[in-house]
Amino acid sequence: MTNVLAYRLLISPVLLATTLLQHRYLLGQLIKRDVLLRYRGAYFGLLWVFINPLIMLCIFAFVFGYVFQSRWPAHPGSIPYVLNLYCGLIAFNIFGETIGRAPTTIRAYPNYVKKIIFPVEILPLVPLGAAFIHGIFNMIILAAALAWVGHLNASLLLFPMLMLPLIMVGMGLAWFLAAWGVFIKDMSQIVPIFVQMLMFLSPVFYPASAVPELYRPFYSLNPLCSVIEALRAALADTTIDWVSWGIALVLGLVAFFAGLACFNHSRDEFADAL
Amino acid sequence: MHSDDIVISVRDVTKSYRIFGNAGTRLKQAMTFGLKKYYEEYTALKDVSFEVKRGETIGIIGSNGAGKSTLLQLICGILKPSSGTVEVNGRVSAMLELGAGFHPEFTGRENVFFQGSLMGLTETQMKQRFDDIERFAGIGEFIDQSVRTYSSGMFVRLAFAVATHVDPDIIVIDEVLAVGDAVFQQKCIDVVNKLQSSGVSIIVVSHNPYHIERLCHRAAVLHEGKLSELKSAKKVLSSYHELVQGELSQSSDIIASNREGTKEVVFEKVFIETDKASDEDTIQSTESMRIVAEVNAKQSITDVHFRFELYSSANELVTVISTLGLTETTQYHGKHRLTFNMSPCQLTSGWYYITAIAGHKYVRLDTWQRVIDFKVLMKDKYAQDLSMDQGVFISQGQWTFSLQQNDVVYAS
Repeated sequence: MTNVLAYRLLISPVLLATTLLQHRYLLGQLIKRDVLLRYRGAYFGLLWVFINPLIMLCIFAFVFGYVFQSRWPAHPGSIPYVLNLYCGLIAFNIFGETIGRAPTTIRAYPNYVKKIIFPVEILPLVPLGAAFIHGIFNMIILAAALAWVGHLNASLLLFPMLMLPLIMVGMGLAWFLAAWGVFIKDMSQIVPIFVQMLMFLSPVFYPASAVPELYRPFYSLNPLCSVIEALRAALADTTIDWVSWGIALVLGLVAFFAGLACFNHSRDEFADAL
Repeated sequence: MHSDDIVISVRDVTKSYRIFGNAGTRLKQAMTFGLKKYYEEYTALKDVSFEVKRGETIGIIGSNGAGKSTLLQLICGILKPSSGTVEVNGRVSAMLELGAGFHPEFTGRENVFFQGSLMGLTETQMKQRFDDIERFAGIGEFIDQSVRTYSSGMFVRLAFAVATHVDPDIIVIDEVLAVGDAVFQQKCIDVVNKLQSSGVSIIVVSHNPYHIERLCHRAAVLHEGKLSELKSAKKVLSSYHELVQGELSQSSDIIASNREGTKEVVFEKVFIETDKASDEDTIQSTESMRIVAEVNAKQSITDVHFRFELYSSANELVTVISTLGLTETTQYHGKHRLTFNMSPCQLTSGWYYITAIAGHKYVRLDTWQRVIDFKVLMKDKYAQDLSMDQGVFISQGQWTFSLQQNDVVYAS
């Protein structure tokens, strides 16, 4: 029995890799669909990809920068508060989008499960791909803003690589939540609340150093925290804490495998449950 | 036991569903790791085994809820069997529901390419096939409109076009031939025939006997989760018919509603006589049969005409036997007996039924829907040559072979 389990754990990423390779065009199409569908028929069309984050940025700048008069304690004066905040938001949005939509990724497409032959494991990856594309647009805005304040540096190119732990956790959680979402409808209610909570419990609006000493260990277990801090370090061109980033990566790998195993374990029953 | 010629091999497959009362019980089940049972089991398929060879078309017929769709989903790999194995060699194009993978917001063209990528075809491969698909679907400029705006006919035409143009090795068709107008149905059947000759294996599920007989090399009845042996379509249809008959006779409400009319003349009894002494209900194709009706006229009435409509088990009208053309008029009062002699009966093997109608000018006096069912069997001598036992009737005629000036005549 344990042999079978070990075998499955080993073989599942290989199977996944072949599926992804085989269906890369399909996945690309699904992501393209997802992004295009959101704006299809809208008067401003794809411009919303830029308008949306800009409006958000303005609101946050007004509330936190002007009303609350928040300042970044660690590097006074180097990078404006708003951009530090925006940097955190970029990472958080990718993660939040992915897991917030995960419970309905399978449930919303019963036809794909029951009526056609379809590699359902790629469905939970679609919101991640779409969120990542939005993230790239956000990064372009961020780069433009950095250039404006005269802080643009080459380490911005590290961003996609630095997000790796987040992507791993995102994929793992997406599979896990998508599988549970099929059987338990409540998941699509619970998860958004959880995402909201996570936004405030992660150092999006504040630096991790502002967290009281007592709660630090919990933060170091939050991959979002390490990743956001690493992104900010890259932004300010200071040294990245590779140890905590490495821990996040390990956590990401664990989440990835656990999520995939959970998904593969229950996928045979999707068609029965939908 | 592996052979290249066998594309689908289903062995001892049982499929049961776990039925949970509500979402909570499913959660409880997951929490207890199978230590306790919170569900009821429903077995949709029981020990089903069969094999499909390359280029063969298999028909599966059965009533609603017999497990047909479950069986197809197992073959497509959408469901996993509870026990037993399903082996499939080749690319499967599943037509469980036409256009199930279409997205309404995207154009026909986009959806075609999307379906192609689902089937594992590259964009260039799809570009090569696109013209054929477009021509088959025949929806003109709508191909660049979003699918949402399509009529249901256009939708299924496009979906069928895609499903048949992606080079499948195996096609699984679930009842989809029943949609669309007559022209489209004929087109579908032509395409299926073409695919058959190019070596594609096809599994058709239907409760329409006509499609099964028309398309399939072999067929089987699926009844309450059990699959009969694969036999010639004709034989299977007749046993399916017996099954349906058995179920119909149990439900008396259907029988009660099969009579209407003003009842001035009523049928008391309609039956079939043969020359044989024993009254088996099986009639040989080559012997004569007589349709006999006993009628009762309550008061004196003339200008009454009688009509027997003979239907095949596929509900197709085979022939109409009517007194309308007769010049002789009879005055009816009291009990009469009328007989029509079919000599020989000339029907091919299978089940048939007769509807009896009595009319007076434009008034229906008595209509007795499906008054009798009877079974015809072809005589052993002929039955060996199965090619004779197709269609609905056996032609009685003569062949003439012209050999130079001398005509040689063979009796058929």
